[in-house]
Amino acid sequence: MKKKKIKNINQASFYFEDYLETNKKNKYLKKKDNFQDRIYLLFFLFASLILIFSIKIVHLSLNKKPSFNQDVMSSKYFLTRRDIVDRNGILISRNINSSHVAVVPKLIKNKKNFLIKLRLHFPELKINKIKKKIDSGKYFYLKKRIDQSEKERFWALGEKAIKFENFQARMYTHGNLFNHDIVGQVDYDNYGISGIEKYFDKELKDKKFIKNPLKLTLDTNIQYLISEELNAAITTFKATGGGALLIDVNNGDILSLVSLPNFNINKRLTIKDKKYTNKITKGVYELGSIFKTFTIALALENNLVKSETIIKDIPRSLRCSIHKISDMKEHPRDLSVEEILIRSSNVGSVILAKKIGENRFKEFLENTQLTKSPDLEIEEVGVPHKIRWDKCKLETVSYGHGITTTPLQAASIYAAISNGGKLVKPSLVKNRKNLDHKYLISAETSTTVNNILRKVVSNKEGTAHLADEEGYYVGGKTGTAESYGNKKDRINTFISVFPTNKPKYSLLIMLENPQINKDLIYNYRGVKVKAPYNTSGWNSVYVAGKIIKKIGPILAINNNEFTNQYVTEKFN
Amino acid sequence: MFKSKIIISTTIFLILLITTSIIKNKTRIIEKNIFSLNKKIVLKEKDINESQLDFYFVASPSEIEKKIKILGQNSYSPIKNSKIFLKLSNFKNFYKKISAIDTQDEKKKN
Repeated sequence: MKKKKIKNINQASFYFEDYLETNKKNKYLKKKDNFQDRIYLLFFLFASLILIFSIKIVHLSLNKKPSFNQDVMSSKYFLTRRDIVDRNGILISRNINSSHVAVVPKLIKNKKNFLIKLRLHFPELKINKIKKKIDSGKYFYLKKRIDQSEKERFWALGEKAIKFENFQARMYTHGNLFNHDIVGQVDYDNYGISGIEKYFDKELKDKKFIKNPLKLTLDTNIQYLISEELNAAITTFKATGGGALLIDVNNGDILSLVSLPNFNINKRLTIKDKKYTNKITKGVYELGSIFKTFTIALALENNLVKSETIIKDIPRSLRCSIHKISDMKEHPRDLSVEEILIRSSNVGSVILAKKIGENRFKEFLENTQLTKSPDLEIEEVGVPHKIRWDKCKLETVSYGHGITTTPLQAASIYAAISNGGKLVKPSLVKNRKNLDHKYLISAETSTTVNNILRKVVSNKEGTAHLADEEGYYVGGKTGTAESYGNKKDRINTFISVFPTNKPKYSLLIMLENPQINKDLIYNYRGVKVKAPYNTSGWNSVYVAGKIIKKIGPILAINNNEFTNQYVTEKFN
Repeated sequence: MFKSKIIISTTIFLILLITTSIIKNKTRIIEKNIFSLNKKIVLKEKDINESQLDFYFVASPSEIEKKIKILGQNSYSPIKNSKIFLKLSNFKNFYKKISAIDTQDEKKKN
């Protein structure tokens, strides 16, 4: 039937009946289309809804951030400050949830009862002060930074007036191992107030990197060994303080930085005593004979002398203006350049400095930046005194007097001199981008100076033979000086470089006001000897030797740098 | 004809409505689960953080040394540099040399 009708529609002739039938058919088709469209629309609407819900589920499951109100939850669950770790990933500091306990005086029902409860359960609290604060009627803190057990004890009082304020406390896992002005401290509002915590405050609070810890160059294990040994030395020599610095001579990474005395950085204390000042970065000293190495390096670099050049007729003393410059010990009158350093001759250094001249010395000091504040990732750095080039300045500077600098800078220049002449910027943070190196001296001069520094330790006449630890090829220079501005304070320093055949580390040891320990018996090349004297920084040398003996194997194992060359040579 | 269309469209509408409400309900349940799981994850992370903190404190060199002292064991002593062998071949060569020296000594004695 349908086929016939279609035939009729398509016919060429036109009749009214045909028109009616066509119209009917069109209406039918239109109705059918409308119905279909509605069904489609319905399907489309529901499909859209289903799609929206599906998208929502997918979005919720894929979204890494929890969608509950982060601002409310953040103080409770999310860390607001990045971790700080050492070079091996050992945790140094991390935020933890803690509370402050406060009192709302208006909510106290029975003041007398409240105070009795506090006195009974917390006898350490000063009740009179609390009473006054309650009387004032203002909200106040009863105790800040309480732990969970204390919180429970306060909770157990059952007082509505006691409120707990959540906050994040910074914990330092190693207590007093790292100084307050190196790693630093954080206040109750999560702001860094000293050290790395202050310098990198913004980066440490950056939410983008909150799960990535800030990696330092410090090594916890080495720091501990050095700290322990230095503490023991302070007791042995009745010193008032001490400092130590271990630096990688090739890249300036600070592996250890110790300044004693120190305190537990988990406790917030107001420190006014100067003895807690960081002696390595902030302490400014006349480092004495340490500077003779610079004088020798400069003389060699300018081809004025060679290490074996003999300086003849060195006088016992020199007079410069009203000052008398002499040596602590009597040396032979003819000394080679290297012997001047080995025997630590002041007069010999002055003669060499005169050959070098004031301009070259000035240029050297300018290049080393020794008389300017050190550039380090902390704000607690010292400001060396301005140097005035008046009469006799060149002479005194040549053996390290009349010039001040921080031990950190002195050690970094030793690093530069021993690593082939490349100036390095000491740093506490890993992965820095400061590779624009300048050269202080040539590689040839560096090798020569390293050999002389080795002789200072290995030679019988050397001032540092107590640090001659088997297998480590230790080289270095001692220094004894008075503290700048306080002639009563004496500083004994030893800066060592090891192994001198391929320098890798520079270790600085400093003791403040060490005394002679007559009972001390030390082992010198297999012979037990009583403590001899208290000059030329020998006690710092003794400490350095003990430290190198302890940290040497760790550095060797960790860095694959040392070989059993000593053993091989011994049996060859 | 008209009735059948209404019935069909109402049925489809009802089916879709029920399906949508079921899906909506399921979504809500899943959403709740995701919330609670996220919360659990965060709490677990917090626990891990605190446990790590405890671990690093307990495993710090000073704490380990204290424990050694309590246990009455000998204090740490550094290994001699000459005893450090970074390669097995170094170790073998070293002992070969020692045994060679020993045999030479014995021969001399005999």
